[in-house]
Amino acid sequence: MNAPAGLDLASIPDRIQSEVQRAIQRSIKGVEYISSSGPSLGSTPKDILHVRGTMNLYHYRPMTDEIYRVPILIVMATTNRGYILDMIPGQSFIEFLLKRGYDVYMLDWTPPKPEEKSLGMADYVLDFIPDCIRRVQQDSGETDVSVIGYCFGGVLSLLYGSIFNDGPMKNLICFTTPIDFREMKLFANFADRRYFDVDRLVDSVGNVPPEMILSSFEMLRPASRAVSQAQLWENIWNDEFVKSYRMFDRWATDTLPLAGEYFRDITKDLMWDNKLYNGSMSVGGRTADIANIKVPILHAVAEHDHIVPYEAAKHLIAKVGSSDKQEVMLKGGHVSLVAGANAIKRLWPKLDNWLGERSI
Amino acid sequence: MADKSNDPVAIWQNMIGEMEKGLNSFSNQAMTSPEFSKVMNQVGGATAGAQKQFGELMEKYLIGMNLPSRAQMVGMAERLQAIEGQLNEIKALLHQVSHNSAAPDGGYGAPRPPRTKRPSPEGEKK
Repeated sequence: MNAPAGLDLASIPDRIQSEVQRAIQRSIKGVEYISSSGPSLGSTPKDILHVRGTMNLYHYRPMTDEIYRVPILIVMATTNRGYILDMIPGQSFIEFLLKRGYDVYMLDWTPPKPEEKSLGMADYVLDFIPDCIRRVQQDSGETDVSVIGYCFGGVLSLLYGSIFNDGPMKNLICFTTPIDFREMKLFANFADRRYFDVDRLVDSVGNVPPEMILSSFEMLRPASRAVSQAQLWENIWNDEFVKSYRMFDRWATDTLPLAGEYFRDITKDLMWDNKLYNGSMSVGGRTADIANIKVPILHAVAEHDHIVPYEAAKHLIAKVGSSDKQEVMLKGGHVSLVAGANAIKRLWPKLDNWLGERSI
Repeated sequence: MADKSNDPVAIWQNMIGEMEKGLNSFSNQAMTSPEFSKVMNQVGGATAGAQKQFGELMEKYLIGMNLPSRAQMVGMAERLQAIEGQLNEIKALLHQVSHNSAAPDGGYGAPRPPRTKRPSPEGEKK
């Protein structure tokens, strides 16, 4: 009997040996996986500048002999932890910025406590961000501050920039930031106003539980969790794969609850009325039209983003009032755009090139 | 090297990848229907209501058993957080006081590098 075309019979014994070795390694590493806790994340040296309820402001210790004049404030998404931008040495966006000579601060979030259920969009945009900006100015001794917002942190930064459009924000960088919420089709359907009673939900539970946030993210790709676990088992012999899997899996499942009123504001103003896109958004009675933003802005979007599809993000650059504005579309997904091997090659150097000359 | 089209491992991986794509795509189509939203929100609303009632019942039960409830534990955690917050404020004050004195670990009190950095000329070529 002849071998099928393309099948190298001589390689079969080697292949079998390799698969047997991997099977043995899977058993050994599988036990190791269960009994170990995974890599330590978010370990770039930092100082806590301020903590107030759900709000945490960190300052990362500079790593170079001289730094750029303008400090950076990173505004993290309110649904997830900031350590996605500071995974492990060599795979940390924060470490990259520090080594390139930036002075880096981060506004990160902890779970809102039950009595913080009354925090609304106005608290985030008119209180938390301005408070952090003031503290960054005070700590750095500089008036100008560049702001980087990731995902919904980008939405908050846009709202802040459109209200405080006379400074002190010097540059704005948004990562995967939606503005047209009709185009987040699945989220829009989950929150269909005919069937989704947001008032009843918030009045019942107070803060929206993290399980609910996580489920809604996982429902966007319902088969992916099971498949990723199968892939983990298949590759458990591979230490690098396992390390990377653990980092991203831990982060993805470490979802934060959302303050009740804040969730109500997001649902009504953004998901239902699409006010950010329509230019009719207001926060705490103050008009928040992104056309009022005039500072240099860079928007990085991911080609295969299943959480914020390009259709939901593409109008940002057209709608801001800045003359110095740029959108870059890079390969990758919602998370791999900012963290992991792809980000190291693509986004980070691009951002450094753009921001460096605007930070002096 | 064996052809990938005949490699059982590659065939298996490809099949899993295609299955994932197909299932995700099929589910997404189903989830964009108004009927899905209606059913999901009916179930979700009922669950949230039941959760709240169950939580209230548990609270009463724990008080009856002379055990701390979740709310009391959260209260204690808040007090601890408040103490941590005050410690941070003290650290920040100390930082301000000793702003000009050197510290070996580069933390609070260490002199900051000068803000004189400029982008390298070859930066644009990277």
